Amino acid sequence: MFPFLASNNPIHHILDKPISGTEHVTLLGKPALTVHMASLVIAATIAFIVLRCAAKHISIGKESEGTDRYLTKGRLSQIIEVITIYMRDKVIQPVLGHDTNKFLPYLLSLFFFILVCNILGMIPFADIQVVAGKITESSEMDWAFFGGTATSNLGVTVGLAIVSFFVIQVHAFKSLGIGGWAHHLTGGAPLYLLPIMFPIEFMGMFIKPAALAIRLFANMVAGHTMLAVLTMFGMMAFSATQNWLLTGSIEAVSTVAAVCISFLELFVAFLQAFIFMFLTAVFIGQMSHHDEHEAHAEATH
Amino acid sequence: MMIPFIASDSEASVVDVQLLTLGTAIVVFAIFFLLAAKFVWPHILKGLDERDNKLRDDLEAAEEARQQAKSALAEYEQELTKARSEAGDLIAKARQDAKAAAEELRANNTRELSEMKSAATADINAAKKAAIGELHTEASNLAVAIASRILDREISAEDQQALLSESLSELGQSK
Repeated sequence: MFPFLASNNPIHHILDKPISGTEHVTLLGKPALTVHMASLVIAATIAFIVLRCAAKHISIGKESEGTDRYLTKGRLSQIIEVITIYMRDKVIQPVLGHDTNKFLPYLLSLFFFILVCNILGMIPFADIQVVAGKITESSEMDWAFFGGTATSNLGVTVGLAIVSFFVIQVHAFKSLGIGGWAHHLTGGAPLYLLPIMFPIEFMGMFIKPAALAIRLFANMVAGHTMLAVLTMFGMMAFSATQNWLLTGSIEAVSTVAAVCISFLELFVAFLQAFIFMFLTAVFIGQMSHHDEHEAHAEATH
Repeated sequence: MMIPFIASDSEASVVDVQLLTLGTAIVVFAIFFLLAAKFVWPHILKGLDERDNKLRDDLEAAEEARQQAKSALAEYEQELTKARSEAGDLIAKARQDAKAAAEELRANNTRELSEMKSAATADINAAKKAAIGELHTEASNLAVAIASRILDREISAEDQQALLSESLSELGQSK
């Protein structure tokens, strides 16, 4: 009965689990190998393979191919090309200006990595494995090797935010220098406001990437929790009433709702990957040396 | 109700940050980024740039070709207008020449006809004169013969000549 739900608690649908058979492998008292870790590796592998294939298709071919060598072959490659061009020309270029090419590989890698993690999370691999495990082994234990939404794990999103934090700060030091970086922490406010501005800007330095991590995590958790709740309605109704007719009716409605929410989740998967990448670009841009701003300021003085 | 085969983990929380997971995320993403930065993005971005350049070059070449075609068309139309004008001039000149030639031919014909007419008139007059002269001679000879028979004497050559002259003058006066 309702084996796909994998638990009576919707939060368990999101929680990380040790990989089956590795429960005894621990580090610092915690499972050393979890399904989210496996999902991260699988997501990175899939993202790399897909992007590598797309890169081959997007690259200009041999001269013997004639004008066809300028065509990108394959729907997926064309989609990746369109996304890349849009990100470069409409999103990153306006924010980073002449630094675009320097950060484009990092930002696009970030976007596609998070996107693949989010989309993999839409496929209930973990639940399928649990069911498959029950069918094949008739064991009382979970049978899960990978699956779940890695980006619904706060550890994962914090890890990605830490990478972005270092990218932002290293760029800030390189672009502004120590003096410029310190000046940036004053927020451009007068000296007597320093005692207020400095702590705020200093905390902001950490809060910005923390907000990135929490936003992505919260969105993924919320969406998947909602999906889990919707799919549990039928089971809850049956537990309460033991009435198949009522259960079927509720299950039908909740299934339709779950399908609709799944489409919304698919959109959120793209949106949150985009937001994480875009805000990272914005934070990098804020720490850039703005010649045009200074020139404008000098002109107005 | 509990699904029996799932163990409940009441201690676990979604907001727990597992350092191992965090580290794994950083390492996995770093490896992914390094591989992508080496094997993916340079190829994609180079391909996009080359495609952009190709499109830009082709558009510029197309624009240049359009301009050339436009100027060639203008030149062709100018040449066509000039050729039409020249053809018109040639036709007009040919018409004029033909008209002049016809006029000349007609004048020549008229002149020749006139000359032929004059020559014919002169021939007729000469023939008339000759005929009249012969007639006079015959008439005078006949008159002399008749007169000789009447007078029954010989008329000398001097008489004959005098008579002839007299007769001719009379004939001339009577004419």
